Amino acid sequence: MKYSMQRYWFGDVTESGCTRAEGDAAALAQRISTLTAAMEGFVPLRWEQAVACGAAGDRAGYLARLREITSLLAERKIRDWYARGDTLLIQKVRMLEDLDRAANLVAERFQEWDRALHPGPRDELRDTAPRQALEQARGHAEGAQIPVISSVDGLALARAALVQEVSAGAGDILPNCTALVGGLVAARLLSAAGSLDALARLPAASLQVLGARAALFAHLRTGSPPPKHGILYQHHRVHNAPRNRRGKVARTLAARLAIAARLDRYRGTRDEEFLKQADEAVRRAGRGT
Amino acid sequence: MIWIDGVLVSPGDRSLYGERMLRGHRVWDPYRSKFAALAHLGHGVDLPPSLRVLYLGAAHGTTVSHLADYVECVYAVEIAPRPMQDLLSLARQRGNIVAIMGDATRPEEYASLLEPVGLLYMDVASPRQAEIACAHRVFLEEGGPLLMMVKTRSIDATADPDEITRHVIDEISPSYRVKAVVPLEPYHRDHRALLCEGVK
Repeated sequence: MKYSMQRYWFGDVTESGCTRAEGDAAALAQRISTLTAAMEGFVPLRWEQAVACGAAGDRAGYLARLREITSLLAERKIRDWYARGDTLLIQKVRMLEDLDRAANLVAERFQEWDRALHPGPRDELRDTAPRQALEQARGHAEGAQIPVISSVDGLALARAALVQEVSAGAGDILPNCTALVGGLVAARLLSAAGSLDALARLPAASLQVLGARAALFAHLRTGSPPPKHGILYQHHRVHNAPRNRRGKVARTLAARLAIAARLDRYRGTRDEEFLKQADEAVRRAGRGT
Repeated sequence: MIWIDGVLVSPGDRSLYGERMLRGHRVWDPYRSKFAALAHLGHGVDLPPSLRVLYLGAAHGTTVSHLADYVECVYAVEIAPRPMQDLLSLARQRGNIVAIMGDATRPEEYASLLEPVGLLYMDVASPRQAEIACAHRVFLEEGGPLLMMVKTRSIDATADPDEITRHVIDEISPSYRVKAVVPLEPYHRDHRALLCEGVK
């Protein structure tokens, strides 16, 4: 086989010799990010070639230089990744979910605690919701109960502020999905998918059951009925639909969402014509005509 | 490999991620590292001081840090940004770790950084593990082993692990001959280690 030119991080090597890549670590990193090796017939470098090429003095120097450059490359990629809008939005959605979990956990424990403090007979047949119990205890709370209640209030405040930011962020990053299902649901779908790239690549059938992992795997393993909806259930068109139509509404909505996600990823602006048609399709699915 | 009273360790003077120390050595926990699990199951791989390792799917660098205690240098490839940050801090502390942020399904993007290695270690959570193994054959020296941790659940969440493993062995057969298949129970569930050697 003829030995063709091989491009390495320190320079280009041919049969006759080596052309060293010039510049500092940043310049070399820049050059490397443009290199795409042809893996067919690729010959990995030998470090001695880098020394012969003048890129390093010895083995230790070779490794030190290479490590400097790969670190630089990685740091740059990490920075770029965090600079993308979807990364930040996903963190906010997950914070929101954690705030809800935390507030509910504290409220539930508070209810049990309060009941132990006031074991008397109660009027209601069924348990009051934990958050409601917290409200009712406001008047008679004592000791450490008081700061516990205010910490739940604090979580509620944080949640309200965060919801605003998530909705606004979703409108920016997912304009079409947000128009279809609202900012919160759109942002939750994004969080479940992991990134805007991943969301845009999901088939409609996956979007439909995103967030229904337990039910989906129960279906795959034991053959129980498949889930009709996951996060999408939170959209009013789905949960307000009559029970026997919910699956159809979720399926139609997911199909349009898959298109909307691709629009958001590759165009980034609202498509009014598409949104009108999508809305009409979902409406039709709900009516069953 | 160094064993102290049946405990696998690596030479290092201080704990890096909270692992226990044992007589001046870092304890290498088989429950945290599949490489250590393999050694505990009687399939340890020699780690001579001159060895160079290519590690795909380095994650936070737990196993990488122990390998680096033994060998000349480790090329550690990882794609996810969050673990990559940990890996970078590790690489800053260890002069023989080359941390590469890259996608193992696209070796052409970092091929210009790698040299031939005596051990190829794969622990990637990709449904295309077999393809990745074949694409990296070019970096493995003659006679060097491939250690492939097959995450059966990453390939197919519902199919039988043994069935998936057979399929993987078949897929890598043009590039590698599998010498042993080691289930990593009880240390890691639904994982199989494949001990392979490159086909010329």
